[in-house]
Order: sequence, then structure tokens, then C-alpha cells
Amino acid sequence: MAANNFRHALFCAIITLIISYPIIGFNLEAQGIDVTLTGADASTIVMVLLAAVIVFLFQMFREQIMGGLKSLPHPLPQSSKEPMAENRRAKIESWVLTGIVVLALFWPFFVSRGAVDLATLVLIYIMLALGLNVVVGLAGLLDLGYVAFYAVGAYTFALLSQYVGISFWLALPIGALLAALFGLVLGFPVLRLRGDYLAIVTLGFGEIIRILLNNWTTLTGGPNGIGGIPDPTLFGMEFGRRVKEEGNTSFHETFGIAYSGEHKVIFLYLIALVLAVFTALVIRRFMRMPVGRAWEALREDEIAARSLGLSRTAVKLSAFTIGAFFAGFAGTVFASKQGFISPESFVFLESAIILAIVVLGGMGSQIGVVLAAIAVTILPELAREFSEYRMLIFGAAMVLMMVWRPQGLMPMRRIHIELKRQE
Amino acid sequence: MRTSVKKLVTAVSTSVALMGAGHAAAEIQIGIAGPMTGPVAQYGDMQFSGARMAIEQINANGGVMGEELVAVEYDDVCDPKQAVTVANSLVNDGVRFVIGHLCSSSTQPASDIYEDEGILMVTPASTSPEITERGYELVFRTIGLDSMQGPVAARYIASQSPERVAIVHDKQQYGEGIATAVRDTLKDAGVEIAMFEGITAGDKDFSSLVTKLKQADVDYVYYGGYHPELGLILRQADSAGLDARFMGPEGVGNKDINTIAGEAAEGLLVTLPPAFDQKAENQALVKAFEDKGEDPSGPFVLTSYTAVQLVAEGIEAAGSTDPFDVAAALREGTFQTPIGTVEYDQAGDMKSFEFVVYEWHSDGSKTPVN
Amino acid sequence: MQDLLYFFQQLINGLTIGSTYALIAIGYTMVYGIIGMINFAHGEIYMIGAYTALIAITGLAALGIAWLPLILIVALICAMIVSSSMGWAVERVAYRPVRGRHRLIPLISAIGMSIFLQNYVHLAQGSRNIGFPALIDGGFNFGSGDGFQMSLSYMQITIFITTLICMTALSLFISRSRTGRACRAVSQDLGMANLLGIDTNRIISATFVIGAALAAVAGLLLGMYYGSVDPLFGFIAGLKAFTAAVLGGIGSIPGAMLGGLILGVAESMTSGYLSGEYKDVISFSLLILILLFKPTGLLGKPEVEKI
Repeated sequence: MAANNFRHALFCAIITLIISYPIIGFNLEAQGIDVTLTGADASTIVMVLLAAVIVFLFQMFREQIMGGLKSLPHPLPQSSKEPMAENRRAKIESWVLTGIVVLALFWPFFVSRGAVDLATLVLIYIMLALGLNVVVGLAGLLDLGYVAFYAVGAYTFALLSQYVGISFWLALPIGALLAALFGLVLGFPVLRLRGDYLAIVTLGFGEIIRILLNNWTTLTGGPNGIGGIPDPTLFGMEFGRRVKEEGNTSFHETFGIAYSGEHKVIFLYLIALVLAVFTALVIRRFMRMPVGRAWEALREDEIAARSLGLSRTAVKLSAFTIGAFFAGFAGTVFASKQGFISPESFVFLESAIILAIVVLGGMGSQIGVVLAAIAVTILPELAREFSEYRMLIFGAAMVLMMVWRPQGLMPMRRIHIELKRQE
Repeated sequence: MRTSVKKLVTAVSTSVALMGAGHAAAEIQIGIAGPMTGPVAQYGDMQFSGARMAIEQINANGGVMGEELVAVEYDDVCDPKQAVTVANSLVNDGVRFVIGHLCSSSTQPASDIYEDEGILMVTPASTSPEITERGYELVFRTIGLDSMQGPVAARYIASQSPERVAIVHDKQQYGEGIATAVRDTLKDAGVEIAMFEGITAGDKDFSSLVTKLKQADVDYVYYGGYHPELGLILRQADSAGLDARFMGPEGVGNKDINTIAGEAAEGLLVTLPPAFDQKAENQALVKAFEDKGEDPSGPFVLTSYTAVQLVAEGIEAAGSTDPFDVAAALREGTFQTPIGTVEYDQAGDMKSFEFVVYEWHSDGSKTPVN
Repeated sequence: MQDLLYFFQQLINGLTIGSTYALIAIGYTMVYGIIGMINFAHGEIYMIGAYTALIAITGLAALGIAWLPLILIVALICAMIVSSSMGWAVERVAYRPVRGRHRLIPLISAIGMSIFLQNYVHLAQGSRNIGFPALIDGGFNFGSGDGFQMSLSYMQITIFITTLICMTALSLFISRSRTGRACRAVSQDLGMANLLGIDTNRIISATFVIGAALAAVAGLLLGMYYGSVDPLFGFIAGLKAFTAAVLGGIGSIPGAMLGGLILGVAESMTSGYLSGEYKDVISFSLLILILLFKPTGLLGKPEVEKI
């Protein structure tokens, strides 16, 4: 047994060396016109060797280590307890949420402009992640082309403002409805596919929409994107230094205060906050309605759900459409915040980031998703040197979450009875 | 794990400390915004190295109006979304002069914020005509426009009286912009354009495109885009036996193209800003870069240097650090800079910016073509 | 005559690309056939193979070795060893612990792995495009002197022949060898095979290793054929190869070959007769249409949903 263990550990250590040494230990560099190979510095090589040693030791004493870990107290102790009664839990949750929202309402007036702007971005991601959460977390449909609906929302506003001169407030519902319509139309044929095929098809759709946006130069400006997207107005008051549209007045002149760019940033933040709260509330309602229960039923066991008379297509389509609707919302806010959009902002990586947020937050859980959105967006801003490693860590975190806690950091919990399997 | 937590804590505390330090000092802050990381970080390096050198030298000579210039650096990764975040933190930090951004797609959304907030921006690298087309007061650049570079290339091609020309671009703002300018000028000159087609940036297989070019029997191929794709096209064209002369904008004129295309890069034509580092009057400056172990020959190093210098001279000329006064001074004055004499028009573009046609060689060197 | 030559040239271009898609597609199809999951990270393994080959070639050049067959063989072996190890490790770390859970869990884990590997190479080797030396030069030309000349390069011939050899070897391996038989048994019924004394874990590992080794071959060939590598090129190639696998019928090895060739030709005809901009649109549309109307692909067996 010990010898066997040793052989296995040695094998794993050698594999570690093979997969890391050639890639990390040698650097291909363009020196003038030649590509040359340089060895990495000593510290890197020591790190690689150290990694191999750690793998060796871990595999060698795997059982002891795993046993030791098990005996440690669980990092999140409540997870092994019975969940709280649902109404009590809901009460606490809604108090906490209300508190957070009230805090979020007053917070921007005390912090810097950059922070408020970043927070707006976080709120956009929260909307996106909440929307995707309906599709992936609740209905169990892996949508890898979610960014397409986000793009539809953003482009709807941009195009309507450019050609028709529509304002943010009118574009918001139109963008969201159009995205929902897209979701409905795309969803109809693809939803009968099985989980993993569905994922690939949505990925394909996402890419096709991006390529079309990029190639349809006459309408969308192609790679040049669309600029000059107006800011939201407050009852016809604009927040810019100068009024751009006739008939509007400017905010600072109406109230006789000095112009400050912060007004606009804070106003946009507040809009995003209201919309994010709206998104969260609507989806919460949906989760308690029969359709929400049906999503989860279908996710848990499609055959059982169908035999109970649920229409597979209708249930899936509703989740897909609602998810797309909120992506359209987020897209409109994004276009307004940027003032300029181009297909670059709607690449697959964006879909992957939103998915990572949903996965990290715990599929199905709203608070978890909100916290994950905050963490994923703000951490790279706080530590710039961390930003290079951001995607590496996302990738690793997605794998680790699936292996250790597929239900997420803050999983959704319900009262349930588990049937013990008879051994 | 312990160290990364420590790093995080230090990073948080420094950023908190920096937030407080924003307005305190009696010095002039110069923001430098460009990509420090990401796929085009090598161009960002040029921008930062040029701007840092200028700030150093100006400070060594007593600063501007007796005040020291302080560089504040921001990384936008050439991502439009990050660029907006960067622009907002610049506003936040009370910076009133920005050197940047690099990519046109970042410069455009960021300039909206700068214009609104009264921050003067000088971009040393963004060539999209749209940036200065919007009538902004505070937007300047120290580089030519796609709409200037394209015609130079097109006039050269037309002067060689080719039978048929193909134009290919990478469907990006920069590449397509130049390619369109080339097409329009060639059309006016009465040259037959056999093909005008886009490719996908990041693609690697161009065998079908090359076959198509062969079939169209063209003498010249103009490519609007960057070196990774053109390098592959050159190489695949060479191995398929396509007999045509290739030409591209400054985005392809970089030694990396030789590592990809090898021998096939011989004879490629490139429009570049004149090699400022070769000018006799810049030799002292070139030496200063080399003493620091930096390479001044990149296309954006001296344009960045110039951007800082112009801001400094603009402040001196206006006698004020108000960006609007400085902008007015820049529009009125004439400045002697490492990239030549600079005068601005109303839009914020230089009245003259010259592009030169170079022939590229397989050893990475280039010679001007008359 | 001219047009015919042009057509044949585009056909050759398409078949060349198609046969490398087929090599990569094997990895998808075998894994899917056995454990029913999409190995999203497979494209990255192909990319790592290309990088390793380039590192080996550059290293040999630095040592002053110039004999072409030796360079190619050493590069190939290095690439195969590193890629296979990567394939083995990926299965061990990211897929084995989640095997048998809900369908989406291994898929999300695979996407995470794909992002991780992309950034791993990106951080270690930088994001620049690095030139790949053209080791095999020259070729045949057909057609009249002044008109359109069709060309068939030695590189293209090498790609065809290598693909053919790999495919034949793989088919023989699957149909004749003991491990191959075990592979087929596991793909038919994993639980039953386990009961009959087949070490299913070993067989699944072997599938990943074989798929990764073939991807490494494709990495070396395509690196030389195209001329550069970068950390992101595995992702799109992986998607194309997956499309090829689905097109031919996922789980079927001849299907992967057929699907690869069809996809390659479809792409080159699109760029040859329409426009290169829509090349990717065509392959994604093809994928979507196949999945919608004939999810079993051209040569796949209809799958009965087990309850």
C-alpha cells in the first residue's frame, strides 16, 4: 500500500513538472527579428519545483490530510444545520436587504466620484447576474451567449437615440422588451435541446450576434461602434455642463447650484440602483410564483416534472425570456453610462464573467449573486497587480466551486426532506 | 495565501491613502492613461516611457511656472469599459491634464468625460478621425489621422500605376478606417479595386483569402490592421506563390512582423510617421532614453514625449493651469517639439503631420522610398 | 479551366484545415462517447501542444541542431508528452471529482478549466503572437504559366498524410487492442464494464490522454502551416473542432473525420466565394442547424434517453 502510494505520488509530481516546467520555465521572446528561448529566472524554477514537491507530499499523505480536513470545523457552520423556517428566513433576509438598499441610497453622497462610477458598474453586473441566475441557477439552462441580450439592449438604445432621438426613459422598456423578444425567438427552437447542447448553441448565437453587429457597418457602425449616446434626464433636466437637446433645461441651472460632474454620476448610480432593486424584487416574486417553482422542478428532474404535467417548453421559455429581459435592462444602462458602445464590449469573455458571478454566488441565491458581483468587479480595482491574475483566478475558482461547493458560497436553501438512500 | 492577503491589505491601504492625497500638493498632476497590461501592452510601454521621460526632463529644468509635474498613471487595458472607469478616477483625483488614451476605442468614451469635466486630453496614439470630429474644445493629439495616412499610401500605390489593387482589413476601427480612406483615394485616382474585404482579427488561416487574391490577379494588396494577421497573410501568400506587393499602416511596422513572416516580410511597404529618433536634433533625447535602457524608436514614444511637452508649454503660454486657457494657448501658439513644429487647427489636430512610405526588410530594418 | 482550378485550390485549402479539425475533434468525440461531457478545455490543450512544439523547436535551434526530421520528431514527442500530461491532469483535477453529478456541473468546471489554461499560458508566455518557423517549404504547382496556378505545398501533403496515419492508427487501436476494446465497452455501459472488471478510471484517463496527444499533433502541424501561436487561438479552434465532432455524429470516430473535412471545406468555400467575414457565422450556423435538426450528426447513432 505504502509503495503503491509512493509510486502514485511520484507519478503525480512528475506530471506536475511536465505540465508546468516547459511552459513556465522557458520564455519565448522576440529579440529583434528572431524568436529566442530564455530560461526563466531561478525563483520561478524554484516555484515550479516547489509545486511538484507539494503535489508529491499531498498525494503521499492524501488520506491523512483529507482526514485532518474533515475533522476541522466546517468553515460555514450553518450549512450543516437545518435551514431556518422559511418565513423567518425571508423576514431576516428582507430586513437585511432593505438595510443594504437604504445604505446604498445615501452612500454615494459621501464618497468619491470614481467609487460611485465603479459602483454603477457593479450594479449593472448585479442586474446581469440576477437575470442569468434565473436561466442558469433556477431553470438549470446553461446559457453561454447571455451577452447577446445585453448587446441587444445596449444597441437598441444606441440606435434609437441615433436615428429617432429617443430618450433613456423610453429606450429602457423598449430595449428590455426587444431583448426579451430576442430571447423568445431564439429560445423557441433551441430549448428542446439537452443541457450541454443548449450551452453550445447559445454560445454560437452569442458569437453570431456579435459578428453581425461588427459586420453590419451601415446600421451599427461596425467596429467603430456608436457614440454620443445621451445621458438619462430627470423630468427634462440634463446633467451635462451644456444642454444638448432643445427644450431641456440643465439640472444645475434649474436648482441654481454650481455645476458638478458628480451630479450626473450619482444620478446614473441611483437609476442603476433602482433598476437593480426592481430586478431583484421582480425575480423574487417570480421565484415564489408557480412558474418559479416550475423552473426549479424542471431543473431538478425534468422527467418527473413533465410527468406532473408541466409544459417543458413553456417553463423553459419563460425563464429564458425573463433572463433576456433583464439583460436588456442592464444593456440600456450600460450604453447610457458609457456614452459609446462597440461590439468589443460584448465578447464571450463577458458571458463567462457573468456566469462566474452566478456560479460563485451560488446558483439560485440572490444575496450570493449580489455579493459575488461586488467581489468580482471590485477586487481587481482594489489591487491592480491582482488584475493580471483575475481571469486565472476566476477559472480556478469556477473549477474549485464545482468540485467542492457546486451549490455556491451562499446557496439557496429551502426546507426539504431528504430521502436517505438505502445502503 | 498569507502573502496574497498581505498584498491585498497593503494595496487597499495605499489606495485609501492615495484617495486622501489627491488635492493636497501644490504641483501639477499629469495623468497618463493607457494599457499597462493586456494584448497591446507593448504599445502602452512606449507611451508611458515617452511621457515619463518628458516629465523627468521638465522637472529637471525647473518644472512649469515653478511647479513640479507629477505623473499619475492609469491602466485602461485598452478596454472601453475600463477607460471610462479610469476617466472617472482621474476626475476624482483632481487631475486636469491627461496624456492618453492609446486605443481609439478607449479614447472616444473617455474624452466625453474629460470634455464635460474640463480636463485637457492629448492623445499620442489614437488615429481615429471621429475623436476630433465632435467639436470638443479640450481634445488634442500629437499623431496624424487615419484619414491622412490612408491617402499617403493610396497616392503611392497610384503612382506605381498598378492594374488591380486589393484592399483587405481586419474589421476593427483602426484597420477599417484606414482601408476605407485608401479605397476612396484610389477610386478618385481611377485605379481598379478588385477586392475590398474584411477578415476576422485573431484568425490564423488565410489560405482562402490568399487563393482569392491570386485569382483576382492583383499587383498591390493594401492591408488595414495590425501585424499579427498581416504577418500570417504575407507568409501564407509567399508559400502559395502569390506575386503581389503588400502595403500596410504603422500598425504593421514593427519587428514582430519579421518573427511571423520571416523572409516573406521583405519588400513590404509601410506608411509610418517619420522616424523621429533618426532626426539630428533629437539625438540628445535619444541618448537620454538609451541611458535609461529604453528604446526611443517605437512609433508612440516621442509622440507621448511631445504630448507632455505641449501641455507644459501650453501652461506656460497661458500663464494659468486652467485647461480651457491652456487649450486656447495651444490653438494659438506654434511649438518646437521633437516631432517637428506643431500648430493646431480648431478641431485639435495638427495642421500638418507627415507620413512617409518605408520599405520593410526581412532583417527588421526599413528604408524610405522616394 | 481557371475557375475549376480555383475551385480545386479552395477545396485543398478546406481539406487541409478540415483534417486538422478532425484531429482535434477526436478528443471531443471520444470523451463525449465515454462519459457524455463536453471537454471544453480541449482547445486549450491543443494550444499548449503548439506552444510546447515551438519551445522545443526553438530550443533545438539554439543547440545548433539543424537536421529536419530530428527536429520534427523531437518537437512532436515533446508536444505529445506535455499535452497528454495536461489532458490527464485536467481530467484528474477538474472532471473526475464531479463525474456523475448534474450535467451542468462538469460543463461549468470545464469552462473554468478552459479559462484557467488560457490565462496560464498567457501569464507564462505573454499575449503576443509568436512566429512559428516554416520548417517544410515548397510544393507543386499546377496550371498554365500566366493564368491562375494551383499550388499544393509539401506542408499540406504532410498534414494529409499525418492525419491519415493518426486516424488509421487510432482506428486499429480502438478495434484491435485490449485497451481499445475496453474503451468501447466503457462507452456502451460504464457501470457494466466496471462490473466486468475493467478499470474504468484508467480507461477514462486513457481517453483523455489519447485525445490530447492527437491535439498536440494538430498543434505542431497547424503551427507550422499557419505561422504563429498566441494563447487565445485554442478557444476558437476548439469550438470549430467541436462543431466538426457534432456534425459527424458525436461519439463516432469516422464521424469526426468526416465532420472535420466538411466543416473545413464549408469554411474555405465561404471565404472563397462569399467573404471571409462570414466564415465563423457559417460554421456556427452549421452547428446550430445540425443540433436542431439532426442532433445525432451524420454518422452518430440515435441516443435513447435513459431514465
